[in-house]
Amino acid sequence: MSHEEKHGASSEKTYAGMTRRTLCLGAGGAAVMLAIGGVGAIPAQAVVRPPGGQDEGDFISKCIRCNECAEVCPHHIIRPAHLESGILNFRAPTLNFDNAYCDWCAEDNGGVPLCVEMCPTQALITPEGATFENTILGVAEINTTTCLAYRLTGCRDCVDACPLEAISLDSENRPVVDTALCNGCGACEAACVSLQAGSVVSSTDERAIKVRPVAKEA
Amino acid sequence: MSKKLRIAIPIIVMAMLAVAYALHLPLGSLSNFGWETISVLCPLGALTTMLASKTLIPHALISLVIAVVAILLLGRAFCGWICPTPVLSRLRYAFTSKSKLKAKEEVAAAQDNAGQSSDKIELTDADRALLKSACRGHGSCASKGTLDSRHLVLGGTLLSAAIFGFPVFCLICPIGLTFATIVLLMLLFGVGDLTLGVIVAPIILLIEVVFFRKWCSHICPLSAIMSLVGKANRTFVPTIDDSKCLETSKGVACGKCSQVCEVKIDPRHPELGSHMSECIKCRACVEACPGHAISMPLIARAKKLEAGDVTEQ
Repeated sequence: MSHEEKHGASSEKTYAGMTRRTLCLGAGGAAVMLAIGGVGAIPAQAVVRPPGGQDEGDFISKCIRCNECAEVCPHHIIRPAHLESGILNFRAPTLNFDNAYCDWCAEDNGGVPLCVEMCPTQALITPEGATFENTILGVAEINTTTCLAYRLTGCRDCVDACPLEAISLDSENRPVVDTALCNGCGACEAACVSLQAGSVVSSTDERAIKVRPVAKEA
Repeated sequence: MSKKLRIAIPIIVMAMLAVAYALHLPLGSLSNFGWETISVLCPLGALTTMLASKTLIPHALISLVIAVVAILLLGRAFCGWICPTPVLSRLRYAFTSKSKLKAKEEVAAAQDNAGQSSDKIELTDADRALLKSACRGHGSCASKGTLDSRHLVLGGTLLSAAIFGFPVFCLICPIGLTFATIVLLMLLFGVGDLTLGVIVAPIILLIEVVFFRKWCSHICPLSAIMSLVGKANRTFVPTIDDSKCLETSKGVACGKCSQVCEVKIDPRHPELGSHMSECIKCRACVEACPGHAISMPLIARAKKLEAGDVTEQ
């Protein structure tokens, strides 16, 4: 049977050395690759990127989703982004401040972020003169309905955690973020106890202070 | 022996990478394998990121050079020994009972045998010469030497990356998705990071490796790169010792080597099968040869296989 097929194939018409079947498969595959490229046009949510990934267009053009940054992060705060935040974001790195924050590897690598150093494609690349203070990963936002301090419990964990003194207390001892000083490092979010201590709070899985991605300029 | 090793090694490699990830050791993944900054990037990832960002990335360039050198030396050995895709594609037999599989295999072998032996008997030297010359000019045999569907997919991949500005294939790469599935599962059970992706990633992966049976030989753009660069590969090429080969020494029709070849190379009659650049260095022919005539030497001695002459026009 295979014998006959072999002979059949040799007399079949070919296109640039390919049988029609091969050509169709290849053209179909190429079309699918172009279609997947179109996925990039589907708007994806902005997410908080590791240092050096703030130029989103440049970042997305280079990230191969190899997970190297997540592997080398000494604080284990880099995670693959969820599919829910957009197909293009899926598996690309984002920051999770549940347990720790980004200090630009101050102790682990002398202030040079290891993720930037290890990124093989320069998707994460810090511009000349970029520092911990002037690189805006995101901006902390307080949810006044879930924040314990806004229920006048006197909680000030975020204020104490902030390395930039970007959070101050108002006249009623409630924290307020100075967006001009905040760099989105996540120290406040990592310190926030609203989810553990505020058992009355339902219908949220977010802490009362949360680093949000900076709105993209149109 | 090689067959078992070729299943074990990709699994061991993946397990090693997973452990390194869990322990935060900077070993990378198959997309970027190495230690800390000394690593080799996937050649397709290197190409597409440079095309997408329209910049020259030093690490990517160096990785490309290393990859080309590796392919020149080893051909498609990555496909045969390290890539997890062929191992995963065995899952397509997961729901077939073992006895059924064996029966199927035997039927196929018997058919192959029948076809092969009649083939061998019919062919005279004159026929062979005719076939060879026909191959040289004729388009139908060019599929063995020039382009096939993989190369179109590769072209589409590069074009798409350049147009849409991101490494498109990375989104669906089965090698990347294998590692991603492991990482997502570790995050799910390790830190309770629940996402739809932990289901979607393995589903895409399974569709690719189970549904598209010919992924490696007909679709994979990485395989396309390797077969293109691998055309210049002259090392570790299956070489036949004519004094031991049953066909040349005793005139017996054998064809065992071509029967066992996964990528349909015919080491005895290279003009009849796939181009030698498809060789995944799996050593199946070496181990199957009843006369122990085939070896894969680092450099073949003067009397080489004719694979090169046939298709290098």
